[in-house]
Amino acid sequence: MALTVQGSTPRVIKRQQRPTWLMDAPRFVLLMILALIFLAPIYWMLSTSFKPESDAIATPIQWLPAHPTLDNYTEIINSPDGKLWRWTFNSVFTALAFTLAHLTLCVLTAYPLARLKFKGREAWFWIILSSLMVPGIVTLIPSYIMMLQFNWIDTYHALIWPGVAGVFGVFLLRQFFVGIPLELEEAARMDGANSLQVLIYVILPLSVPALVSLAVFAFMGSWNNYVWPLYVATSPDMQTLPVGITSFSQRYVTEYGKLMAGTAIAAIPVLIAYLAAQRYLVSGIALTGMKD
Amino acid sequence: MSAASSARVTRRSQRGSLLALNETNPLVPYLFLLPHAVFFLVFIVYPVAFGFYVSVHQWDLLSGNSPFVGLKYYAQIFDPSSPQSQFFWRTLLNTAFFTVVSVPLLVGTALGLALLVYRPIFGQNIFRAIFFMPGILSVSVMGILWRWMFDNQSGLINVIREQFFGQAVIQFLTTEGWAWVPIIVGTVWWTIGFNMTLYLAALGGISQSYYEAAQLDGAGPWAQFRFITFPLLSPTTLFIAVTTVLASFQLFGQSLVITGGGPTRSTQSVIQYITEEAFGNNQQSSAAAMAFLFGALMLIFTGFQFRLMAKDLRSSGKDG
Repeated sequence: MALTVQGSTPRVIKRQQRPTWLMDAPRFVLLMILALIFLAPIYWMLSTSFKPESDAIATPIQWLPAHPTLDNYTEIINSPDGKLWRWTFNSVFTALAFTLAHLTLCVLTAYPLARLKFKGREAWFWIILSSLMVPGIVTLIPSYIMMLQFNWIDTYHALIWPGVAGVFGVFLLRQFFVGIPLELEEAARMDGANSLQVLIYVILPLSVPALVSLAVFAFMGSWNNYVWPLYVATSPDMQTLPVGITSFSQRYVTEYGKLMAGTAIAAIPVLIAYLAAQRYLVSGIALTGMKD
Repeated sequence: MSAASSARVTRRSQRGSLLALNETNPLVPYLFLLPHAVFFLVFIVYPVAFGFYVSVHQWDLLSGNSPFVGLKYYAQIFDPSSPQSQFFWRTLLNTAFFTVVSVPLLVGTALGLALLVYRPIFGQNIFRAIFFMPGILSVSVMGILWRWMFDNQSGLINVIREQFFGQAVIQFLTTEGWAWVPIIVGTVWWTIGFNMTLYLAALGGISQSYYEAAQLDGAGPWAQFRFITFPLLSPTTLFIAVTTVLASFQLFGQSLVITGGGPTRSTQSVIQYITEEAFGNNQQSSAAAMAFLFGALMLIFTGFQFRLMAKDLRSSGKDG
């Protein structure tokens, strides 16, 4: 008598084998609708910018420009008091200089805080970190008065230097440096490397993801800064792009085609840069949980 | 890696010079700290102290004569008969209203959006990129776009309401109450991608095995969310909530560009009012006092953020 175990088939949890695209169809449709809503303001900006003024406010609504024209763009660019190129240059220059200075200062401070042993290390780190509790508005007015005293109003100095000692970057890099294996550093020291050489040849090459993320954040932070440049760089030649285009918006208050053309010129380079650097931006946020 | 790079490093003689970057020099760490410390002290620490100094003097930019007035400007904020008191508390209330309405929206919709795009789907990366994209625009671009969208006459929202739903035009930008709609909608559109990205990162950190175990026990999608996803996301939710509250209290550009703070200050943020007092009315001392009071009130939230970061620091400090 043979005891058969064949009857007891192993219990298999069978998944329903419906095609996944069918399961995902509602989610996909929902995402499409949301994506269209998200893109609507940008589409509407572009659409308006290619319309003659009369079409911009025409009813019934013109989803596509009925009489597409570049007039708004040429007029905005050639406008004698419009300084779009100057503002763009100011923004680019300020953001690059700020990013470079900020990164250098953060690296130099984060390294000893992460790796070197010295008296007052903990204390200094906590002092730096606690400055995060001071909202920007508290230092805005005294900093403005300082700019007056330094004679820095309407100069690049005012746009670049006051923010370079921001401490979020120090915190971010310090956390990243702490995670780099100590053995690598010790090996370099055995070969006679000093602290600066260790930082440049060992730590920094291993920190590229953190450095790139910090650079992207610093650049964007400076590029989009609004409150500070609004008050310290007021002459048309020294305004940055975000401040400059709001002065546009006061001038072309009812000329929507021109206003949207100006806004598009300010927005499109950033959108293109975003598509290129998106990876770093997103991984950077994931890395740090950082927001401005 | 280290072999290659350390090969480029040359051995230096270990002299005792205080500028030498070798291990025998006890000043080396301080030399590293010095450049940042200078800027930190000049542009962060000093302005806080100087701001307090300004707030207890009657600062006059023109004459340079600034007598000590004690706590006069602080008292003024609490004196109901002064316009400063009236406007400060009114705009603070506006800002609090904005925060109370926008924070649940910004946290809740970000979580919903993250759950929608987390699982693989056709075009997943494109969707993520689209939802994040508005966040890279400057506040002035964002504000101009939404002011046009909600324009009183020809804005897309009003045109659609009129043309497709036969509704009367709403004067969004100039009607008290309605004026908050473009500001809040614009802010959600503008900043939701940041929070979504934080949630996506946190979702990626949840082990799949929890869900497999739950499925074996017969848990449906809602039960899985309720008992696995949501509890495991709670540290992220806390972090996002705190940073979003902080960002919302610092409301400035959105209402400045979209409504100008109007109608009749009904959407003016406290920061916009403080800057108006400082730069419009040239009352730097009064504005500095308000900024300090506002900063002190914010300490409840900024202190909380500080504690969250300190916790993060201690947990990561163990391996360092």
